[in-house]
Amino acid sequence: MKVHLRVFVEVENLGKAMNALVDAGITGFYVLEYKGMSPQDWKGFSIKEDPKSAVGLIRDYANDAMLICSVVDEDKTDKIVEEIMESLEGEKYTILEVPIKRIIVNYKQKESERAETWLLEKEVPCFYCGENAVQRIRIDMNKAKIWCTNCGAARYYLVKGVEKEEK
Amino acid sequence: MVVKKWKLEKGASCYNCGDATIHDVEVDQYNIKIRCRDCGFARFYAFHMVNLPDKK
Repeated sequence: MKVHLRVFVEVENLGKAMNALVDAGITGFYVLEYKGMSPQDWKGFSIKEDPKSAVGLIRDYANDAMLICSVVDEDKTDKIVEEIMESLEGEKYTILEVPIKRIIVNYKQKESERAETWLLEKEVPCFYCGENAVQRIRIDMNKAKIWCTNCGAARYYLVKGVEKEEK
Repeated sequence: MVVKKWKLEKGASCYNCGDATIHDVEVDQYNIKIRCRDCGFARFYAFHMVNLPDKK
């Protein structure tokens, strides 16, 4: 089974936590920046219900924090968590392990896959700077660009049409 | 701006026939033509604009 690992850390510990996660062997992650209040800060508060007070409270009292999320194999989770605990010793953090029931990943349609960008190169004297330099050609479905890697002069082309040959 | 015609090749899946084929890419000053060697389907691009840096 896979586990959704969520690590809540303070902004200044983001680098440490990320390094620990990478060392522990996570392959992919995403990061969210948020403002949060821990229960000890929150205790005893009651907010006036007008939006201005509520937003003001978050601005004044909530801390900048980061949430790092990753999907990991269940059997690797303990090792990863240990790694984080070790590198964030003495710091404030929260780790959540959420079991994942199912993962559905959808990729783009084949149609758009075929319309990938092409990159070509040709080494000739540049029309602008005259240097014999690599001219890069990028061809998209609807446009193309040719630029000199030496001086940066760029030409742009737009698609004009297509032609089908009868067999 | 005088540019000699370039003739290049690119192996890619053809947009029309879907096969992995070689495409002839012909680039000149005003046009780019890309033609699938297998099915003959061709795309044309026309010159639009040029962006020149300051000459050093």
